[in-house]
Amino acid sequence: MIFQSVHRLREAGVLGMNSRNADYIMPCNSRSSFPLVDDKVLTKKLAEAQQIPAPPLYYVIEKHGDIAGLAEAVKERCEFVVKPARGTGGSGIVLVQECTDEGYVTQSGEVISRENFSYHISDILSGVFSLSGLEDRALVEALIHPDPVFSSVTHQGVPDVRIVVYRGVPIMSMVRLPTRASDGKANLHRGAIGAGIELATGTTLTAVHHTNVITHHPDTGHPVSGIQVPFWEKMLGMAARTLEMTGLGYIGVDLAIDRDRGPLLLEINARPGLAIQLANRQGLRGRLDRVERAPAEIFATPEARVEWARTNFK
Amino acid sequence: MKRPAVVLALALLLLAASLLAYRIVWLGYPVFPTAPGRTWQLLIDAHLKGGGGETTLALALPYEQAGRMLVEERVTSGSLNFNLLREEPNRIGIWSGSIGSGEEEINYRAIILIRPGRTSRNVPPTFEKFPPQMEKEEQALAEHLVRNWRHLAPIGRIRAAVAATGGEWGQPPPNDQDVQKWRNIQERHGRAIALLTLLEASGLPARAVEGFRLIEGVKTRPLTWVEVWTGQRWESLRPETGEIERNPAALLPLATGGSPAARVSGGELSEIRWILNREIVSQWRVHFERVRRSTRFLDRWSLFRLPPEFQQTFRILLLVPIGALIIGFLRNLVGFPTFGIFMPVLLALAFRSTGLVYGLAIFAGVLFVGYAVRLGLDKLRLLLVPRMSVILTLVIASFTLLALVGNKIGLRQLMAVGLLPFVILTMVIERFFVLVEEAGVREGLQTAAGSAAVSVTAYEIISWEPLQLTFFVYPELLAAVAALQILLGRYTGYRLSELIRFRSLGGPS
Repeated sequence: MIFQSVHRLREAGVLGMNSRNADYIMPCNSRSSFPLVDDKVLTKKLAEAQQIPAPPLYYVIEKHGDIAGLAEAVKERCEFVVKPARGTGGSGIVLVQECTDEGYVTQSGEVISRENFSYHISDILSGVFSLSGLEDRALVEALIHPDPVFSSVTHQGVPDVRIVVYRGVPIMSMVRLPTRASDGKANLHRGAIGAGIELATGTTLTAVHHTNVITHHPDTGHPVSGIQVPFWEKMLGMAARTLEMTGLGYIGVDLAIDRDRGPLLLEINARPGLAIQLANRQGLRGRLDRVERAPAEIFATPEARVEWARTNFK
Repeated sequence: MKRPAVVLALALLLLAASLLAYRIVWLGYPVFPTAPGRTWQLLIDAHLKGGGGETTLALALPYEQAGRMLVEERVTSGSLNFNLLREEPNRIGIWSGSIGSGEEEINYRAIILIRPGRTSRNVPPTFEKFPPQMEKEEQALAEHLVRNWRHLAPIGRIRAAVAATGGEWGQPPPNDQDVQKWRNIQERHGRAIALLTLLEASGLPARAVEGFRLIEGVKTRPLTWVEVWTGQRWESLRPETGEIERNPAALLPLATGGSPAARVSGGELSEIRWILNREIVSQWRVHFERVRRSTRFLDRWSLFRLPPEFQQTFRILLLVPIGALIIGFLRNLVGFPTFGIFMPVLLALAFRSTGLVYGLAIFAGVLFVGYAVRLGLDKLRLLLVPRMSVILTLVIASFTLLALVGNKIGLRQLMAVGLLPFVILTMVIERFFVLVEEAGVREGLQTAAGSAAVSVTAYEIISWEPLQLTFFVYPELLAAVAALQILLGRYTGYRLSELIRFRSLGGPS
């Protein structure tokens, strides 16, 4: 029974957690580069140096004393996002749409008083949301207005596109679509759905909801497949350039599409999850192996890597 | 990539195996330190009267052999001097000195561990001869009587000799005069000596043994039986019937080769008793006593040499790596969710002071109280560290109250809480709270249940006494544990949970 399942998964080229850690993350991602992607403030600075567009940074809250400066920093543009710099899985992120006298109005319509908002930020600074529990900083950046392309299959929130990049070559991608259950967050663990994206063309495939394959969005009821992702070529190029940016060989690049600014780099994950295989209904192993066998010259430039990926991963 | 790890793991396994083999083969350690062994207590109680001058008492004492181990020995010598003499294989205890008008009581006590089925009795005879009591012509008579058996196999000769001491001489019978003569000799020296002489005369090395059958009771004189060399091994002949003893472990030899079990010179034994009774000795004590007396290198570096108050800690500590191995196994092979990596091990250690049921109740209680407190505190907007301190304080306060209630209603368990669980669990509360907020109650409870299950498994393992003892006796097993951990670290196959998670990718089933 078990051996049969193991055999079937192996035949399908499914990548498991242990193999991901031992065969890809450990050899490809050097420990010293982890902080570059684990801290979103650093990631943003690096992206800027590589001319990879990212949401504009308004303000960084380093210590409790800085919280008072928040109102001043967002005075003119009261649409912003507060994030823990070292947060994981979207925890601790608050999207603010409007500032009123009562406080801040979030994207889901909830009003958070200024006092409660400061409390949330001090939680972020204390490291409640950071992976290691160490003290953290909070960043305040521009709110993304999602491109309407996914509006039929999104319940509130911002859909984000995940592209797994191996040695600078985009190998698999999906778009994570918030649901009512995920509370508008594009996090698969919390009930968002993940729709695979065909790498060559940029059109969506079927989606995964928890571990089930679905064809329609659970809240909006619209089909998730067949949607053409705009700026696809550009997004692949941004993902490919993260190799030059971070030096990490096996990462998940998260992008969002703003209706005015186009694709923006949200964050880079040095331990990308494996659910993308379910979203694409395909194992990662076969593509990883093909990248390993690819001719050396394709690794020279990001453009060459994207070109190779689009012709090989159909 | 994989090879160095595998080589290292194999090297560690080899190290553990060779140390184990050394202890078992050369030092005679038990293969399973916890296998039940029967222990007997032998007490020798002797009253000695002096004869004016120097009095000497020689007592044959039990000796070690494969299958028989001396766990503990105590000698009381009163005003006499005590010396131990080795006359392979015998050990003779000699008490000497001058005794005044009164009596001197001497005591000897030994705990003997018997392991059935581990007797090695194949040391060939060195120099065997007729018993010294037998005179030349008596020896000649014996040789004459046995001349018909010479062609028989050893077993046949033994049977013939045993039958002869019972009066059956077989066909053709020797002449009546010789038989009558031999009967007189047998009466004079006793049946055992007669049998010994006949065996020697028929070319079978034999020796007399004085000792006891291992039956509870008080004896005033030892049993004498004959051991005969069949060419491969020594066989004991049952003292009552002369048949070959099928279970030699049931006999306790004291003096082998003709010397008596007790001999006194320059005085008189007014009373001597050998008392045998079964003893229940804890396995820990068996090993402790044995290692304490040994001068071997590994024994001198044994954990049994630690002061007892620290031994207890190491009993547990040596099993913690197994707990860690299990967690690695459950996480990397099965895919169990747990709070933190080693929290379950810490929790398992905490269960040791609380017991399993109450420990689990504490775990659930702390999570519940902590979650409620955390929910209430949310409104106060406290910073992280002070907030966790408040939770810790309130949790401890609730359990203090519970202990007081337990005292009133006479429930001891409510008071028996350790120090450890609260601090650990308070840290768990924060993770639990965040998990419940972020991923839902279901995920939170699942992880809590996973942690509890892993803790219970780890607890059961570290409290399993046979395993504690095994690791304490053979600490080199830690190298084997490390080897398994290394191998687990290089396991890159699927986790059991992934077979379910990705089953839709596995094609039609």
